[in-house]
Amino acid sequence: MCLLAAFAAAQESAFDLDGKTVNPLAAAPGKIVVLVFLRRDCPVSSRYAPVIQSVAAEHARDANFWLVYPDKDDSPQAIRDYLHVYGYQLPALRDPGHVLVKQAHAEITPEVAVFDADRQLVYHGRIDDWYVDFGRSRPHPTTHELRDAIEAALRGKQPAHTAVKGIGCYISDLE
Amino acid sequence: MSSRLRGALCLITACGVAAIAPFVHPSPRPRPPRTPVDQPVTFNRDIAPIIFQSCASCHRPGEAAPFPLLTYEDVKKHARQIADVTRTRIMPPWLPDPQAHKFADEMRLSDAQIGLIQKWVDEGAGEGSAADHLAPPKFVEGWRLGQPDLILRAQKPFILPPQGTDTYWNFIFRVPIEQTRWVKAVEIRPGDKRYVHHANILIDRSGSSRQREAEPGAGFGGMEIRIESQVFDPDSHLLFWKPGTVPYVEPEGLALRLDKGTDLILNTHLQPSGKPELIQPSIGLYFTSHPATKFPMLLQLENDAKLDIPPGEKDFEVTDDFTFPVDIKVLAIYPHAHYLGRDIRAFATLPDGSEKSLIHIPQWNLNWQAVYRFEEPVFLPKGTKVALRYVYDNSEGNPLNPNHPPVRVMGGNRSSDEMCHLWLQVLPVNFDAAQGDPRMLLQEALARHNIEKNPGDFEAHYNLAAMLQAKGKLDEAAQQYQAALRLRPEDAVVNNAMGSVLLARGRPDQAMAFLEAALKARPEYFDAHYNLGNALAAQDDFSGAAQQFRLALQTHPDDANAEANLGSALAEMGRLAEAKAHFERALQIDPNHSLAKENLEELRQQMKQQ
Repeated sequence: MCLLAAFAAAQESAFDLDGKTVNPLAAAPGKIVVLVFLRRDCPVSSRYAPVIQSVAAEHARDANFWLVYPDKDDSPQAIRDYLHVYGYQLPALRDPGHVLVKQAHAEITPEVAVFDADRQLVYHGRIDDWYVDFGRSRPHPTTHELRDAIEAALRGKQPAHTAVKGIGCYISDLE
Repeated sequence: MSSRLRGALCLITACGVAAIAPFVHPSPRPRPPRTPVDQPVTFNRDIAPIIFQSCASCHRPGEAAPFPLLTYEDVKKHARQIADVTRTRIMPPWLPDPQAHKFADEMRLSDAQIGLIQKWVDEGAGEGSAADHLAPPKFVEGWRLGQPDLILRAQKPFILPPQGTDTYWNFIFRVPIEQTRWVKAVEIRPGDKRYVHHANILIDRSGSSRQREAEPGAGFGGMEIRIESQVFDPDSHLLFWKPGTVPYVEPEGLALRLDKGTDLILNTHLQPSGKPELIQPSIGLYFTSHPATKFPMLLQLENDAKLDIPPGEKDFEVTDDFTFPVDIKVLAIYPHAHYLGRDIRAFATLPDGSEKSLIHIPQWNLNWQAVYRFEEPVFLPKGTKVALRYVYDNSEGNPLNPNHPPVRVMGGNRSSDEMCHLWLQVLPVNFDAAQGDPRMLLQEALARHNIEKNPGDFEAHYNLAAMLQAKGKLDEAAQQYQAALRLRPEDAVVNNAMGSVLLARGRPDQAMAFLEAALKARPEYFDAHYNLGNALAAQDDFSGAAQQFRLALQTHPDDANAEANLGSALAEMGRLAEAKAHFERALQIDPNHSLAKENLEELRQQMKQQ
């Protein structure tokens, strides 16, 4: 029991790509925090790169975006390479112990979690409705849950939806 | 001195062309599941054989799938996803329902296999005993059929932007062969397979697609392309690539003809990945010394004219049917619709009233469109009616609807338009060769059917005219060309063809206006310059004729007929030395050119006498 507890304790946080412990919810008080859960081997995650980057750019002043990689086998260098080829300008975290996954109730990549200035989880789930199933995507999304949630949080309101399940790859398959 | 008429051209709209390949069966063959009901399902014993047989050929490095499925760790990392996509039959991608006439290389899991995968995941996706470990299959690296006889590589890559809707890009491959070759297999390597959804080769025997490139080798955009083909030379093969396709060797006698000057157009459907991608396909050709002895034909049922789908309409049905005037074997089938297509069906009604399903796709998905080759060709006797019935969903409930909210959608070539096409690769059988080429009979019957269905079908009038012209029925051909010209008065190809009919009827004076109209529409049109040269020569304007042949040669410098006719015109003008040079040039291009030989001989006699 002792050993197990010690092991779990070692995983009780997320890390930046230099291996330093980071708690994205503790940083920058007063700002909205958006966690974006991604898998490098998930094509749906990857196709969203330009969308995530542009929503983050629109809200650069009032929201802190973090990319979160929950695959314990992802090395910092592999993630750096991925950020480079997909043109990401956002900070990335490794979450091998799925600490942030649990806090955000993330199940799928890509999913997002939006925390308001008081660090209450106001929305978690899909970015929009671009994908309707594996291999079936709309030409353009018709709903924009991530944008709506950020805008609601900025106005101190509840978004229309608090959770909408995403389409993509299961995070639980990584356990 | 005589000169030759160039035949009419035949327009064929084509959307796809050639052979899909058998799915590689990796060794070892899967063992039948033998899990007792009370034992847990394990990866090593139960799941690995299914994955290696049905998934790994794409799910491995360098192939189309986004992640490998070659080891327990690979599969475990996607276990729930695999359970989901197999249960919903999204994977392996295979759209048609099972039917009596099976397709070759069906990528379909059995209900028992799907059940086993669900059970494995529900039980925790265990690896199982090392004693049961199965080595991942070995695949052929590189070209699947060994080193091709000729490899063509796109001159310039296409840069696929990171974001946006699906993109359609066409690459032109100029085939560097000096003489006719027979192709027994084609391997399409579409560039990065992860981003190419499908690719089709179209055969352009007239160089007509080159005009669409901004510069040579640049390629051009567009989902549906139209190819003009010389005389009666119907496309015969469906040359298609989709993820999972491996090259297919045509049976003896069914080789594809490639001539000098032929271009292969690779029409690709690309999907942005999130980052910029360089797409630079290549094509491997495998030749055979055995020329074709059987001549299949691609035949299209369609009814785009009926596509006028009101917004919100959930069940818009379109049909077409064609009764075959000869016995045929159906070798392959290729249905095509865009994003509103939902239920796609084709079936044959035989003269005895019995019905055969040729294909039924209950949930169409353009992204997984494919050519389906029958395991055994389907014999249909003369008098069989083949029908298509497509249902379109233009409601808000169709997630693939490009318009939100829905709008009225018509038939057309853009991806936002809709299509109702069914290609059949058919081989006429049991015909009397003395009665002529059965493909011409098919083409004529189909053109007449299309005109009856839609009198405004420009291409049908054109194709019927070309068939009639080939049969020597010049008056009827002229009527059909006139009908085509009423629909598109400025069309270069039809004006040229009309000119050629009038030339053949001995009316070069009347031909002039049509040929000039053709050249007005397309100034660098070899055939029109060539025919106009002949029309002028027939009216004793040899200087004008020589000028036209020279213009023709500017477009096709290696055309022996144009060189020979230029020589003839110059000889008529008394410019014998120049004429001789052009006859010699014609013979350099084609040493067996009989007109050039005869004329050169006659010229030598004349020069001796002088």
